[in-house]
Amino acid sequence: MLDTLPAIDVRNVTKVFRVHLERNNSLKDKLVYLGRAKYRDFVALKDINIQIYPGTTTALLGVNGSGKSTLLKIISRILYPTRGEVVLRGRVSSLLELGAGFHPDFTGYENIFLNASIMGLRRSEVKKRIDEIIDFSELGGFIHEPVRSYSSGMYMRLAFSVATVIEPEILLVDEVLAVGDVAFQEKCIERLRQLQRRGTTIVMVTHDTSIVERMCDQAVWLHNSVVQMIGHPSACVPAYLDAVTHESRKPMSFDQSYGISIQNVY
Amino acid sequence: MGDVAAGRTFTLTPKTRGLSSLRELFEYRSLWWTLTLSELRTRYKGSVLGFLWTFLNPLLTLIVYSVVFSTVMRIRMAHYSAFLFIGILAWNMFASAVQASAGVIIRQAGLVKKIYFPRQVLPLSVVGGSVLNFVFSLAILLPFLILEGYQPDVQWLWLVPITLCEAVMAAGFALLVSALNVYIRDLEHMLSILLMIWFYITPIVYAPYMIPHNWIQLFKLNPVSGCIIAFQSVLYFHSPLHWKLEAYTVAFAVFVFVVGWSTFERLSRRFAEEV
Repeated sequence: MLDTLPAIDVRNVTKVFRVHLERNNSLKDKLVYLGRAKYRDFVALKDINIQIYPGTTTALLGVNGSGKSTLLKIISRILYPTRGEVVLRGRVSSLLELGAGFHPDFTGYENIFLNASIMGLRRSEVKKRIDEIIDFSELGGFIHEPVRSYSSGMYMRLAFSVATVIEPEILLVDEVLAVGDVAFQEKCIERLRQLQRRGTTIVMVTHDTSIVERMCDQAVWLHNSVVQMIGHPSACVPAYLDAVTHESRKPMSFDQSYGISIQNVY
Repeated sequence: MGDVAAGRTFTLTPKTRGLSSLRELFEYRSLWWTLTLSELRTRYKGSVLGFLWTFLNPLLTLIVYSVVFSTVMRIRMAHYSAFLFIGILAWNMFASAVQASAGVIIRQAGLVKKIYFPRQVLPLSVVGGSVLNFVFSLAILLPFLILEGYQPDVQWLWLVPITLCEAVMAAGFALLVSALNVYIRDLEHMLSILLMIWFYITPIVYAPYMIPHNWIQLFKLNPVSGCIIAFQSVLYFHSPLHWKLEAYTVAFAVFVFVVGWSTFERLSRRFAEEV
């Protein structure tokens, strides 16, 4: 495995958000503050290095605000790293939020095409798989109803079907499995296993540590914007759980627990 | 598994993008097309006549002009309503594309924050919608011209490159304003005033020859004039194109597109954080 290049190579990635203390997007404010806009820097990720090899499954662990979702968004190219770089080898499909990219007025059927085209697929490629996508979603006749009438579970079924049936080379999943009912969750996990067998590289954010132990080859524990631990789930999960239960007994302080480091306040 | 090796490699750094994004945009052409169509579909969504409005709108406008300018305000120019209609349709393609694309990144914040795709697709699909709308309105304009006694001729083929040139220019401005508007939100509101002024300094309601002689050079600097005048030459005056003016217009269209593209490229990196 190690002789191949990583499918995802995160090198020294730092992400700094500019938190605006006041919203000044209007021209008047821009002129009034002219370069003295009030903001503080918020370091969401600090010098992150992770190699994820093709065909492996990696879980990102960490408490809320530790930087998991930011990292996932950088890997999916929604956010740009402030420093460092990410090398991606393969077609990325991401499932970051339910129904992002669904147009509420369009039917489920039309949204399959819309969603797949957002992921960079051509119409002909979708047509070949359309039956499989509809079958997997179990939406039946609802597929011809506008999605604004869907329940969140139905949204999730459709989104998951599109994202996985197109057979991505790299699949990023952010805590969406929690929405479906138990039966569909099992079906999703079965689907993910099928993708694993086909060699898809999967990165998932989840708080369900049993899934991590059952499915992942690697776990990355993020804490306060840095990688606290990286290794096999059997080592990472207990350490993480131990720390979390220990931590929760302490009163939370704003900048520690949420990984905010205030660098320069103007 | 074997496919992985054949896959594409992307490197994300704080800076580089460059020309690779043009190729990537091409890969996302089906998204562009889907969004262009949905742009058209949602325009009249929920209305009883639906898509028919694409044709009804210009038809009704035309009827109003014809009535007003043939009975109330008598203009000495022959076929004035035809002249005005040509100018207005050609202008609307440009103006509606620029105006509607200003807010498109913010309107589509849900997509921009959650999914990766080349963000250029958003303003470019607005432009696509406007161009298609223009093409459909030709279905009203051309029969009307024939009714007015104009004979269809080969010169009409010029419509294709002229439309293309105006679309490229509109795309350049659309990329520019859609990116800037994320950071300076007043732009969207300022645009409607700017476009109104722009409308009157472009020969749409008046013919180019009516412009006072010592002002004409100044008017020719307005790059949209070149497009509108070209439409009028082909459809109304039946005169040959003014080559110097059109060369300037094409050069300007390409220039605006390059400026718009590179500005968008630079500013789009922080869209997900700013919308």
